[in-house]
Amino acid sequence: MKPATQPSADWEIGSLSLSLEVVCSMAVNSLRQRIGRAVLTLLTICTATAFMMYLLTMPRSTDPVDIQSWRLMMILSLVVSGAGVLNTMLMSVTQRYREIGTMKCLGALDSFILYSVLLEAAILGLVGAFAGAIAGLIISILLALADHGGEVFRAMEIANLPGKLLFVFLVGMALTTLGALFPAFIASKMPPMDAMRGEK
Amino acid sequence: MTDFSEPDSTIRHSSLDTRHSADDTVEYTVMTRDVVKVYRMGDTEVRALDGVDVTIRTGEYISIMGPSGSGKTTLFNAIGGLMKPTSGNVFIDEIDVAQLDANELAWLRCRKIGYIFQSYNIVKVMTALENVTLPMLFGGVPPDEAQDRAVEILTRVGLGDRILHTPKELSGGQQQRVAIARAFANRPAIILADEPTANLDIHTGEEIIELMKEMNQERGVTVICSTHDHKMLDISDRIVWMRDGKVQKIANRADVDIEINTMKEKE
Repeated sequence: MKPATQPSADWEIGSLSLSLEVVCSMAVNSLRQRIGRAVLTLLTICTATAFMMYLLTMPRSTDPVDIQSWRLMMILSLVVSGAGVLNTMLMSVTQRYREIGTMKCLGALDSFILYSVLLEAAILGLVGAFAGAIAGLIISILLALADHGGEVFRAMEIANLPGKLLFVFLVGMALTTLGALFPAFIASKMPPMDAMRGEK
Repeated sequence: MTDFSEPDSTIRHSSLDTRHSADDTVEYTVMTRDVVKVYRMGDTEVRALDGVDVTIRTGEYISIMGPSGSGKTTLFNAIGGLMKPTSGNVFIDEIDVAQLDANELAWLRCRKIGYIFQSYNIVKVMTALENVTLPMLFGGVPPDEAQDRAVEILTRVGLGDRILHTPKELSGGQQQRVAIARAFANRPAIILADEPTANLDIHTGEEIIELMKEMNQERGVTVICSTHDHKMLDISDRIVWMRDGKVQKIANRADVDIEINTMKEKE
C-alpha cells in the first residue's frame, strides 16, 4: 500500500523476462501433458522425412522419365509434410486459445507465447526428423535388399550418405518450425480477451 | 435510488481535483475518467461504456453490480488493461493504462493486477502448484522462490494437501481457490474478479466470497468484483451500480444495508 498520490519509483514500468531454462521446461511439460497430439505430430514429421530419405537413397534408373517422376515425388513429399505439420500445429494452437489467453492475462509476453509454441515444434521436429531420416534409410535398404539381394549397396545411391542424412534432418526440422511459425504468430498477437473467449 | 448518486459524484470530483495536493490523505488505486467504449456491430454502434467516472481507494473492496449488458465486464476489461477504451483514461496508481504499449501492458497484468474469472481458467495441463507459480515466473521470480511462495499461498487458501492435483481432480470451488491463490501470487495492487461465484453453488460461493474478503484485508489489496450476487454486498466497502454503460450510483455499504431488503423484494 503506497500512496497513489506520489508516482513512486517502484511504479516505473518494468520489463518482464523469462529464462530460457524456464521456457524449455514449460515446453517439455506441455508436450508431456499432451502426449497424444505430440505422437501424432511426430508421426507426420517422421513419415514425411522417411519418405524423403527413401527417395534420396533408393536405387535409381537413368531413364529421363523416371528422373522426372522422382523429382515430382520429392516435391510432393515436401508439400505433404509441410501441410501436415502446419495443420497439426494450427490445431494444437486453436485448441489452446483459452490457455494462451489465460497466460496473457497472467502477464505472458507475446514473445513468450511465440517462443513456447516454436520451441514445442522444434522439439518435435528434432525428434521426428531424426527418427524419420534413420527410418527412411532402413526402409530404403530393406526394399533394395528385396530387389537386388547382395548387390544392395552398389544399387543404392549411398554416395555422401552422412550429407544426405543431415540434409533430410535439417529439411524436416525446418518444415516443422516453419509450419509452426504462422500459428505461433497468430496465437501471440491475439488480444487476451479474444483468446479467453476462444473455444475450449 | 438516485439519492446516493449526488453526494458520491461530489466526492469523486473533489478527489480528482486534489489528487496532487500534499495533504491528500486518502490513497487511490484506480481512477477512470470519462471512459467510453464503442463497439461496432454491423451498421449499429453499441456504447458499452458511456462516460464512466469511478475512483477506487487503496485497499477497498468494491462490487460492481448491474444487469447483463450494463457494461460491467467492459469496465472490468478496461481497468484490467485487457482492452483499450475508445476515449477517456484509466489510471492505476496514476499510470494511464491507455498509454502503455503491449509489453508494458503485459507487465501491468503480471505485476499489478490479479485476475479471477467466472470459469476459473486454470491451465488444464498444469497442477495447482504450477498454475500458481506461472505468474511469478512471468514476473521474473526465481523458480525455487516462486515454488515456495506458491506452496505458502496455496496452503493459505486451504489447498495445502492438493498442490499437486490437476484441475480435473479438483472441484469448482477448489479450482476457484487455485485461481485466487494465482491472482494474489505476485502481490498485485488490485484484484479484478469477474463474477467469481457465478458457476458455484450457494455454499461454495459464500466460502469463496469470504476467502476473497479475508485476503483483501490481510494483504491490503484492492478488490474489484463484478457480480450478480447480493451476498457480495455484505462484505463490500462500496457498491457501484451500472446500467446502459453508465454508473447509475455508487453507495457505501452502510447506506445499502438500509435498502437491501427493499431491493430483494423488488427482484
